[in-house]
Formats: sequence, structure tokens, C-alpha cells
Amino acid sequence: MILAVIGLALGIVLGVLCPLSIPLAYAKLFSVALLASLDSVFGGLRAAAEEKFDNTVFISGFFTNALLAALLVYVGDRLGIDLYYVALLAFGVRIFQNLAIIRRYFLKK
Amino acid sequence: MLSIKQGRYSIAFVCMVLGFMLAVQFRTTQDMKSTLPYQRVEELSERLLQTEKERDSLQEEINAVKNVSGGETETKAAKELQMQAGTVPVKGPGVVVTIDDSKTASKAGENPNLYLIHDDDLLRVINELRAAGAEALSINGQRLIGTSEIRCAGPTLSVNNVRSSPPYEILAIGDAKNLENSLKMRGGVAETLKVWGIQLNIKQAEEVKIPAYKGTYTFKYAEFAKGEGERP
Repeated sequence: MILAVIGLALGIVLGVLCPLSIPLAYAKLFSVALLASLDSVFGGLRAAAEEKFDNTVFISGFFTNALLAALLVYVGDRLGIDLYYVALLAFGVRIFQNLAIIRRYFLKK
Repeated sequence: MLSIKQGRYSIAFVCMVLGFMLAVQFRTTQDMKSTLPYQRVEELSERLLQTEKERDSLQEEINAVKNVSGGETETKAAKELQMQAGTVPVKGPGVVVTIDDSKTASKAGENPNLYLIHDDDLLRVINELRAAGAEALSINGQRLIGTSEIRCAGPTLSVNNVRSSPPYEILAIGDAKNLENSLKMRGGVAETLKVWGIQLNIKQAEEVKIPAYKGTYTFKYAEFAKGEGERP
């Protein structure tokens, strides 16, 4: 857990130091990708708590989820369907579910 | 405290990537807010519209007041001066010239600008009409006076600081035949513009009504110099 927090802090510091900014056209895609990765991380934490953690599934899930979410929104944009909100809702619901399960494990300990 | 036994390092790594993404997204959002004041644009355009409306109503008021005050004391000389200055609407025989952008598509590799009307095209038409003795002129309802400008304002044309888009309707009062011939003469303006497919229509009219100059002018720098070559 501490390692995860250290990693997060390191990432934030790196991101602040790195003068990278997403172009406006891709800001939407990036935000969805961010949400997907957030979901993956919580999913991973939950799996770890349940002691069902699988390294390959976790890492591949993290990247494919983010890319797929961004791709979905991009395609939706092209087709005129606002898949952005669909992705937001789906990932939002999943994040809350995962959080609830993690919270239960917290309480049990 | 939740203890993670499996995959600590991959979780730490993924958390790092997540943190990086978070920071970048944070800055992107911040940038967006500072560089794209969406709401501000809307607000400004609203205010502009309102101000323009106010200006129009005030202008009408001024015209009304002018008409009332000037009604009785007008002399013939004053009337003529007003006509010259363009502060009163005038009517008389003349021509109606309409100019529109070219309908023919520009060929590949050619400058499409050549097929559009520019300020200098209109200036040439105006100049030709003046040379032929036009006494009053207007472009799309804007009376041309001494200080009128004719210039490109992006894709539109600005006359008296009022923008309008093609087709342009030029009204001229004068000898209708002379005015028409001045434009249609061999090698003249009409012929040159026709090369580019720009549509120029000239119609003689029994009565052309030219509106008054709607703007205001105040002299900020020029002063009346008394006794220096004054006309009686």
C-alpha cells in the first residue's frame, strides 16, 4: 500500500515537472482514458485485497482499458454518438463498486 | 491497513502512470480554462449586440431631432451643403450597379482570390462613376461621403465602418447614360471584371433613392481656418 502511494506521488511529481500538455482536440479522449486507468487501479487493489491478483491481467487490463476507452470515444465522436458519457457512466459505476468492496475489506481487518 | 501481498510493484508502477496522467490532465484542464474563455466570448457578443441596438436607437433620435430643429431655418445654401455632405437623403435619375462574386470555379493552381470582389475593384467602379459625374453614391445603403472608406474586412467589405457582404449594390445619381457608358467602355472596369467572371450588372433607373449618411463625424484635429482662401 505504501509502495502504491509512493508510486502515485512520484508519478504526480513527474507529471508536474514534465511540460506536457494534451492538445485540446484530444483532451476528451485523455480524460476518458484517465478514468479507465483509475478504474483499473481500483480493480487491481480490490483483486489484491481478495488475494486473486494476477499481474498480467492487471497490467494488460490497465493499458487496454485506457486505450479502448479512448478509442471508443474517438469512434463515437466520428459517428456522432456521444460514447463519452457511456464510458464515463460505466467506469464511474465500476469505480464505486470497487471502492465499496475495498472499503469492506478495510473494515474487516 | 490493507496489506497487499501480490503484485506490489506492478501496482506501484501503475499508480505512477496514473499519477502522471492525473498531473497532465490537471494542467490541460487548467490551460483550457485560461486560454479558452468560452463564456466570455458569448458575453461579449451579447454586449456588442446590445450596444449596437442602443447606437441605432440613439442615431434615430438624433435624426429626428435634426429634422425638427432644421425644418424652418433652412436656406437653399444650407440644403445644398447638406446634400454635398451627405447628411440628407437624395433622389434623382441614375444607375443601379450590382456586383457579385464570380460563379465560375477557379481552376486548379489558380488563386481563388482573383474571382472574388476586392476593395480595389469597387474603388475603381466608384472612381469611374465619380469621373462620369455621379452626384451621390452609396454602397449597400451606405452613403459615400468625404471620409468614407472602402476596404476589405476579412471576407466582407467595410464602408463607413459598416460591414457588408456580396452582392454589392452601388447606387449613383447622375446622368444615367453617362454613368453606364463610363463603366461599359472598351477596356473599362466592366470588361476587366468580366475576365474573372465577376458579375457586374448595370441598370438605368428613373429614380434612385440614396439614403443619408448614418454615422456621425466630429472634427478632432481639423479646425476652421478663417479668411484663408474661403469661398464666398
